[in-house]
Amino acid sequence: MEQEELKNKIYDYVMAAKGKKKLKEKDIIKGVTASTGEAADVVKKAMREMIDVGRLMYSYGGGSSSVEIPSEEYLREKGMIK
Amino acid sequence: MKKYETPLLDELEKGPWPSFVKEIKTAAKKTEAANDELGQLEKSYRDKKGYWKHGGIVGVLGYGGGVIGRYSSLPNEFPGVAHFHTVRINQPSGLFYNTKDLRVILDLWDEYGSGLTNMHGSTGDMVMLGCRTEALEPFFAEVSSRGWDLGGSGSALRTPACCLGKARCEWANIDTMDICHDLTHTYQDYLHRPAWPYKFKFKVAGCAVDCVASIARADCSIIGTWKGNIAVDQAAVQDYAKGGMDIKAEIVDMCPTGCMSYDGKNLSIDDANCSRCMHCISKMTKALKGTGEKGATILIGSKAPIVVGSLLSWVIVPFMKMEAPYTELKEFSEKIWEWWDDNAKPRERTGELIESKGMRSFLEAIEVDPQPQQVYEPRKDPFFFWKDEDLA
Amino acid sequence: MAWLTEQEAKAKRKTDIGPPHYSKMLPPVIAKNYGKWKYHEVFTPGTMVHVAESGDKVYTVRVASPRILATDNIRTMLDIADKYCDGYIRWTTRNNVEFMTTNEANVPLIKKAAEDAGYPAGGIGAGLTNIVHTQGWVHCHSACTDASGLVKAISDELFDYFAEKRLPAKTRFALACCVNMCGAVHCSDLAVVAIHRKVPVIDHDNVKNMCEIPTTVSACPTRAISPDPAKKSIKINPDKCMYCGNCFTVCPPINIHNPEQDGVAIVVGGKVGSLRKGPSFSKLAIPYIKNNPPRWPEVVEAVKNILETYAKGARKHERMGEWIDRIGWEGFFRETGIPFTHQHIDDFTFMRDTMRTSAAFKW
Repeated sequence: MEQEELKNKIYDYVMAAKGKKKLKEKDIIKGVTASTGEAADVVKKAMREMIDVGRLMYSYGGGSSSVEIPSEEYLREKGMIK
Repeated sequence: MKKYETPLLDELEKGPWPSFVKEIKTAAKKTEAANDELGQLEKSYRDKKGYWKHGGIVGVLGYGGGVIGRYSSLPNEFPGVAHFHTVRINQPSGLFYNTKDLRVILDLWDEYGSGLTNMHGSTGDMVMLGCRTEALEPFFAEVSSRGWDLGGSGSALRTPACCLGKARCEWANIDTMDICHDLTHTYQDYLHRPAWPYKFKFKVAGCAVDCVASIARADCSIIGTWKGNIAVDQAAVQDYAKGGMDIKAEIVDMCPTGCMSYDGKNLSIDDANCSRCMHCISKMTKALKGTGEKGATILIGSKAPIVVGSLLSWVIVPFMKMEAPYTELKEFSEKIWEWWDDNAKPRERTGELIESKGMRSFLEAIEVDPQPQQVYEPRKDPFFFWKDEDLA
Repeated sequence: MAWLTEQEAKAKRKTDIGPPHYSKMLPPVIAKNYGKWKYHEVFTPGTMVHVAESGDKVYTVRVASPRILATDNIRTMLDIADKYCDGYIRWTTRNNVEFMTTNEANVPLIKKAAEDAGYPAGGIGAGLTNIVHTQGWVHCHSACTDASGLVKAISDELFDYFAEKRLPAKTRFALACCVNMCGAVHCSDLAVVAIHRKVPVIDHDNVKNMCEIPTTVSACPTRAISPDPAKKSIKINPDKCMYCGNCFTVCPPINIHNPEQDGVAIVVGGKVGSLRKGPSFSKLAIPYIKNNPPRWPEVVEAVKNILETYAKGARKHERMGEWIDRIGWEGFFRETGIPFTHQHIDDFTFMRDTMRTSAAFKW
């Protein structure tokens, strides 16, 4: 699968859970691996690249960490949007 | 800058113990953040409650830890602490510093933050207390470009910590500072990018005195020990006796295994019955020394009481050699993480998961055999599981 | 100094480099004798010497610290380290500061310089050292007392046991501003832990918007929380709630803070070392004392009573918990005069193990 296509799938997967369930890295890797047939480390690498450029972000709440769609505030602060 | 009247906090500038109020006031001369911290804290003292919101989602790009979001619930009244985030900087092993490098951090912190620190936080990091969101990235760029990195937070490997070990202690059986440094560097990814059900802590102590409290607050407690006998320097024993030590009362009678005797001249030890608790060695450090093979006891599972009570770590591997690059320890840790990550609910610590899944499930997953050193006593009830393989 | 611009920061930042190697941070005498120390001797509660197999000696002056330190005051400490310690300094795992020198003549000079700066020497051996503590109102949303202020008030009162007077054994004191207990409060000789005593108040509108209901329900260790479908929120059974605050951690609109009812409990007899009696948890001595800032006189009085009763009753080298083991808990409550209440008997997880099942006891 094209990297960009995979990243879009990852993004959609996280988007679908928004406001419903806090996803750990592992949940995303498991979910996207199952739906795309890509290997876990390929999905992990793509997800990490998305986090590195602010397309996804780590979040924290209720005592534990998760991966989420970045808020506008986060993107503005990181210089991703003006 | 706003001038706050602080009659309640001023009471805490009195007395012989160093005053944290003096520290906050020192920083308050320089930064609005520290000044408003002082103002808000006085209000807390008046109202008997804190004015901080739950942590928010802040951090540096690519990392999921190292920064703890903190916002005042009274940002209009105290704008200087509207953002007051914590930045954890990973401490060097053993908490030694050269003043030159530390001064660089202090200068940067005056520029980008409140000028207030904790030396150190409970887990061991240098804690930079009070940073605005927009200062996080440039401050991180400054410190990281000078060779420092952030510590851990959230559902991740937390900053490993150790006692000072061989650097300045004759009791160290293992090189705690090197083990701590090696683990920290080997597992940078786990430290910065929270991927687990909850936190996981390593603490490395050189001996059973455990100056880093590893047995009480590390998921993996690594405690130095030895396998051979205790070497006795009888002349040094006599020196302690001449110096006023009551060898029988203070040493022999306090030995928990009753393995020592003293005839007024010679101190004898029945080494086969010694449990290596460190009492005698710590009291007669010139006279007694552990000999033979050195290594560590690995204990797993301790944590503070939230939620169903505190746990102390359990002995899992009674003795493991500890030589760089610590391959056995790393393979062992990775097996624990795999099992824990596969099985734990959110916010379930390793020790809690062992309780809920059973010790057998854990020991089999990490491929460690049952041994009497792991328990105080065997089970009392006649109810126990049998697996098919046990019946074969 | 000007702030880095966004571009400069991006260009400069490094990731995953970890902390600097400790070898850059070691005084030369420490580096030279690494792993080759022979013995040490404590001179005074604030000074000691370590002697290496090579015959080299390093003298250490340990001083008090409030843990919260301003950069300018750390610089004062670094000035002392530059003047007397070849430009090296360290902190202990209990937040004390240590100055090390190979020149014995520097010891009184370091002591004086640190004292003049407000950081008196002490904390080594059989006495009190820094009270390990948490953030409190200074910096934590979860705090139900202030940590630094209580520690300051207690440390002032017990200062002699840090700087001069000796106790039967070392006494490790810790303080936590809520039951999350950042730090080893649960295994300390003497410790203060802040507690709640009232069922939380629920802001239903915000629970609906901010919290995952199943997560919140499962966060309760006593199953006091259940869903409230009508309100799209949760409800709490007051008979089951033990005020641990875990629900507040996962769901902030469940407010457990109550300034008039929050306060502190005092626990005793824990330790982490395996010496003699093994590591053990601290146990409840006093279930509640109200918050009374700025100096919490009732708490100060209570811990002083426990410490001095121990100091009088314990044998040499006996830690708090070992002394209590010997005289029995009934002896502890008799000697300290602390009343024994319903709160002292475990009715949560450990009742089976903690009730007495023997006809032998003391009066």
